[in-house]
Amino acid sequence: MAQEGAAGGSLERHCPTYIYKVVLLGSTAVGKSSLAYRYMKNDFQESLPTVGCSFFTKILRMESATVKLEIWDTAGQEKYHSVCHLYYRGAHAALLVYDITNKETLGRAKQWLKELEKEFLHDEIVIALVGNKTDLAEEREVPTEEGEEFARSRSLLFAETSAKSNHQVKDVFMAVALQLLQREAETAPAPRRGQHVDLGASRARTGCCRV
Amino acid sequence: KSKKASSFHEFARNTSDAWDIGDDEDEDFSSSSSSLQTLNSKVAKATAAQVLENHSKLRAKPERAPSAFSDVPTNCKVIKSSSEAQLSRTAEEACVRTPLQKQQSLPLRPVIPLVARISDQNASGAPPMTVREKTRLEKFRQLLSSHNTDLDELRKCSWPGVPREVRPVTWRLLSGYLPANMERRKLTLQRKREEYFGFIQQYYDSRNEEHHQDTYRQIHIDIPRTNPLIPLFQQPLVQEIFERILFIWAIRHPASGYVQGINDLVTPFFVVFLSEYVEEDVENFDVTNLSQDVLRSIEADSFWCMSKLLDGIQDNYTFAQPGIQKKVKALEELVSRIDEQVHNHFRKYEVEYLQFAFRWMNNLLMRELPLRCTIRLWDTYQSEPEGFSHFHLYVCAAFLIKWRKEILDEEDFQGLLMLLQNLPTIHWGNEEIGLLLAEAYRLKYMFADAPNHYRR
Repeated sequence: MAQEGAAGGSLERHCPTYIYKVVLLGSTAVGKSSLAYRYMKNDFQESLPTVGCSFFTKILRMESATVKLEIWDTAGQEKYHSVCHLYYRGAHAALLVYDITNKETLGRAKQWLKELEKEFLHDEIVIALVGNKTDLAEEREVPTEEGEEFARSRSLLFAETSAKSNHQVKDVFMAVALQLLQREAETAPAPRRGQHVDLGASRARTGCCRV
Repeated sequence: KSKKASSFHEFARNTSDAWDIGDDEDEDFSSSSSSLQTLNSKVAKATAAQVLENHSKLRAKPERAPSAFSDVPTNCKVIKSSSEAQLSRTAEEACVRTPLQKQQSLPLRPVIPLVARISDQNASGAPPMTVREKTRLEKFRQLLSSHNTDLDELRKCSWPGVPREVRPVTWRLLSGYLPANMERRKLTLQRKREEYFGFIQQYYDSRNEEHHQDTYRQIHIDIPRTNPLIPLFQQPLVQEIFERILFIWAIRHPASGYVQGINDLVTPFFVVFLSEYVEEDVENFDVTNLSQDVLRSIEADSFWCMSKLLDGIQDNYTFAQPGIQKKVKALEELVSRIDEQVHNHFRKYEVEYLQFAFRWMNNLLMRELPLRCTIRLWDTYQSEPEGFSHFHLYVCAAFLIKWRKEILDEEDFQGLLMLLQNLPTIHWGNEEIGLLLAEAYRLKYMFADAPNHYRR
């Protein structure tokens, strides 16, 4: 899947560019597309149900590196499941999105986690659990602690967001990017995109960091 | 060396009939846009004046409703002739804006407001019918009102586009919903409509039962998200109609059930059948103005016609969506033969066809085109044998090649994907669809089951 390696150091050696594939997974209508849209356009709009997947890119210029995120927004309906793995194949990070006003969707996010664990080695992928729709606080079904606790137990990043009221959306993606970079630093020397570096036991997993 | 695949105009010159008929369906824009090259502002002013004059004439003296609608219950309100409807949509707007536009800047494509995407393009600026258009409409009326409609002939006439005045009845016939025999039509419609509402009575209450809950919930979530920007589809009555249609279809087809994308496929039928009763813009129409009977007819007809369509592409929506996977593969294979350069470009940047063409197949290009274009496209799909399955493949290939220049200009994976997911068709109308279909037709005959010696 890799289009090109970390096209790093094209200009300066010390400021490489990394390309990471990030997939958004989760139940139908939890707000995956809205999160992507908010992040890309800093705006909110009713989106059509995603068919297959949609694709966005975002460039983050950080101190130590430039990060190009390829964001794959997938369809939530289970019926699409058969094609979905085509999209998350080769992903470097995944956002497991659920809707805090709908408990079932957290269950679904957990199932996604199981699937990812089948597909990826323990340290191959950065995973964030994202409880969306904090703007609907009065309809909340999933307490913050529940999501947080689960994330901690599985060493996932965790955040609650609102695509609608623009709450912590940027932060989630940023946290994911930072963690990806951190892993990159740990696996140095020459990291290449999509290449499975030997994941030695020495690489302690970063704990759950609340965004 | 390699002749470019997209030389539409050359093809147009070489093929007489299909093309020839195709041309005159370009009702509104084409007449303004194809003449743009030569049009000067003087001519434009004269045209504008004429449009105005004809328009006010029409306003003053509405034509009578077309007789071809004899199979339609007329118990609500007077069905206005669509030819008037197309000119009368917000009369002031039509009078003032269009001529102004033409006079001032002669834009290549006037900006079409999003909500106007439904109606056939630019209804407000539609020029009076040309002689040719009139003849064509006459031909349709003749076919439709004959004792036994010659379906082959109707398909032939419909391929290059159905005039909007006769589209509803033509679609009912082409889809196989309405019998060719005039005498049986009324009864069939009545029976089918009753049958549909029988299903509703029998099954609709089961939507909250456990085994259908997931299906219903998914539909219920998707309906408000179908065409979210068009007021027509935000009305509770309309949403309920869509929910019923989709739910009944889903539980009667357990092999596929409801799959996202199917919801889109109701829209063209609903809009076309609704247009039969609406004189103004369909997209802003308040359906509470219609009688219960009329709404029921629209609902039942939409259900049956959609069912007929889906019968032909069911494997698109069964487990693992084999129909789609197969078609995406076929598209890839086809493009590799038609335009190796584009194909290799994709390979070079590791773009996989499934990444963009899944949606093309799953939603029949509806997400890539304005609704008015989909409606025009479906005129042809319903006139082609296996239009929605087989011919659609060639349309997708033609659609892809249409953007070959833009594609080849993109030099990385991200750029390519962004382009392919947001192809700029917002201004497309009948003319572009006509060209696309002509090219698809050419490809079908050159490449269908053809040996590889066509490989360039």
